[in-house]
Amino acid sequence: MHDFAATMIRILTSTVVTILMSTAAIVGQSSTSTTWGDPDIEGIFTFATITPLQRPGNVDGKTILTAEEAASLEERTARERVDRPPRPGDTGTYNRFWVDYGTKVVATKRTSLITDPADGKLPAVVQQVQQRNKASRATGPQSPSGHEDLSITDRCIMGFNAGPPFLPSAYNNTVQIFQTPDYVVILNEMIHDARIIPINGNPELSDNIRQWLGSSRGYWDQNTLVVETKNFSSGRELLGGVNIWRYPNAGTSDRSARLIERFTRLDAATINYEFTLNDPGTWTQPWSATFPLVEIDTNVFEYACHEGNYSAANILSGARADEMNSH
Amino acid sequence: MGKLERGKLHHRSHKMLILLIATLLSACGTSTELTNNTASDTVPRTPEGHPDFNGVWQALTTASWNIQDHNAQKGVPAGQGIVHGNEIPYQEWAAAQQQENYQNRADLDPLHKCYLPGVPRIMYMPYPFRINQTSELTAITFEYSHAFRWIWTNGTEHPEALEFWMADSRGHWEGDTLVVSVADFNNQTWFDRAGNFHSEELTLVERYSPMGPNHINYEVTVEDPKVFTRPWTMSTVLYRRLEENVQTLDYECLEFEEPFLPWDEVPVPGMPGPPEQQN
Repeated sequence: MHDFAATMIRILTSTVVTILMSTAAIVGQSSTSTTWGDPDIEGIFTFATITPLQRPGNVDGKTILTAEEAASLEERTARERVDRPPRPGDTGTYNRFWVDYGTKVVATKRTSLITDPADGKLPAVVQQVQQRNKASRATGPQSPSGHEDLSITDRCIMGFNAGPPFLPSAYNNTVQIFQTPDYVVILNEMIHDARIIPINGNPELSDNIRQWLGSSRGYWDQNTLVVETKNFSSGRELLGGVNIWRYPNAGTSDRSARLIERFTRLDAATINYEFTLNDPGTWTQPWSATFPLVEIDTNVFEYACHEGNYSAANILSGARADEMNSH
Repeated sequence: MGKLERGKLHHRSHKMLILLIATLLSACGTSTELTNNTASDTVPRTPEGHPDFNGVWQALTTASWNIQDHNAQKGVPAGQGIVHGNEIPYQEWAAAQQQENYQNRADLDPLHKCYLPGVPRIMYMPYPFRINQTSELTAITFEYSHAFRWIWTNGTEHPEALEFWMADSRGHWEGDTLVVSVADFNNQTWFDRAGNFHSEELTLVERYSPMGPNHINYEVTVEDPKVFTRPWTMSTVLYRRLEENVQTLDYECLEFEEPFLPWDEVPVPGMPGPPEQQN
């Protein structure tokens, strides 16, 4: 019995040593890798930028801003971000102080987030969408007859920037990424949307099931996380994240829409984000954009949109009052 | 994918080492935390040696309708309550308030308005959720309305003077049990559809204890000096969803419930209000 116990202690000691050694190995690994050896893209990031999605007309033909042009643009943005009283007749909505597009252009100083087409602009829409837009312009803005006439952003079903894909916008451009060996979770502050992305070879979701955020599958291509998303809900107005208000030629996602996103860590504080949207039901060609996710020292906070949504009720109430007054 | 496989191997070798130690220690007749539960031998573990709760889970209980014993009603299955002793120690005014909530539950239940359900109700609603566990964060992503919870296990504390629909959660490990302190509530969420409620002074202590590889004993102690006369406790079981390729899908409450909201019939001066709810 004594010998048995001594043997046990020896085995245990060597086991503990083994554990300590492997713990040391984990600690010694580069901070750009997870403990299990995948590239580490965890963190809390902002994708706010003042670089526009599409190349503005005044820089047509110009791909990159000079350092002076970029500095001047940033300086002007910072100067204008002040809290001003509403103009006479304005009920007092957000002014520039309260919006958070950031104050920086993207580090590459590109003139547009869109990289393809080469002119930095959204491609043409297909004929069917052109006709729909034409009809919509002909009737003009309509008073909502019910909540279903409100946009899904007004209804708090989806945010206007969380995507997928992400698109820098007026506020809550914050995203948290965390990883396990089998999954990557992308959690947007906007409308508390989380995308849970299997990276373990899980089979794709049945084509019959449609989701607001689509269904994503991911894999590592060397240091890049590649995420492919499809199964978008056909009721989705945000065409691959492109807000219908800002880009009125965007329509409802086609069932065949496919999105490919690529996340690559550039340095300790930056992840490069690229996406290509292929939605042949809307656009005449696929298009791509790229911008950085910049790590920020903050938390993601609860975004309870619907719970404080007085606008929707007020819009509908106003529409009913208008109808009553017009009779 | 090579790296991923190595990660899995790494993970497995840790698990085997822990199993080996546990086996050896129990052979020696030594009692340790690792062997305090006959189920612990089969519990999957993280590289740090904690139970690995990563996966899709779901409670199988009627508690979201009523956390206490209840008979069936139309659309509501009968159920055995999950409150220990079946008694909720309301203060007198609060017992009356709960009765009023119950009578008017069809209108007043916050879920009827698609509000975030709060904690603990979200844990035992009849929808699956995924636990995503890393060393410093256990994040729960819910199928219901894309709700989520962060349970930080990095030694940080609750922020002060804030109120959230889903509150704020900070956890730590006690042996194999994930113990979570939940605070920073608002006073808008309910425990169930039966009108059981709380104030913004609610605090919870949740205990997630593995009962084996596929079951978690979920126990929650409730304290709210404004509403109850003493702390009280509930518990239920969380089941791991084992269907092949199971994943959480969309239940976007607002898609379906809005017609029941008064939004489309908002009263304006001189106009009749919304029609009475049919129930």
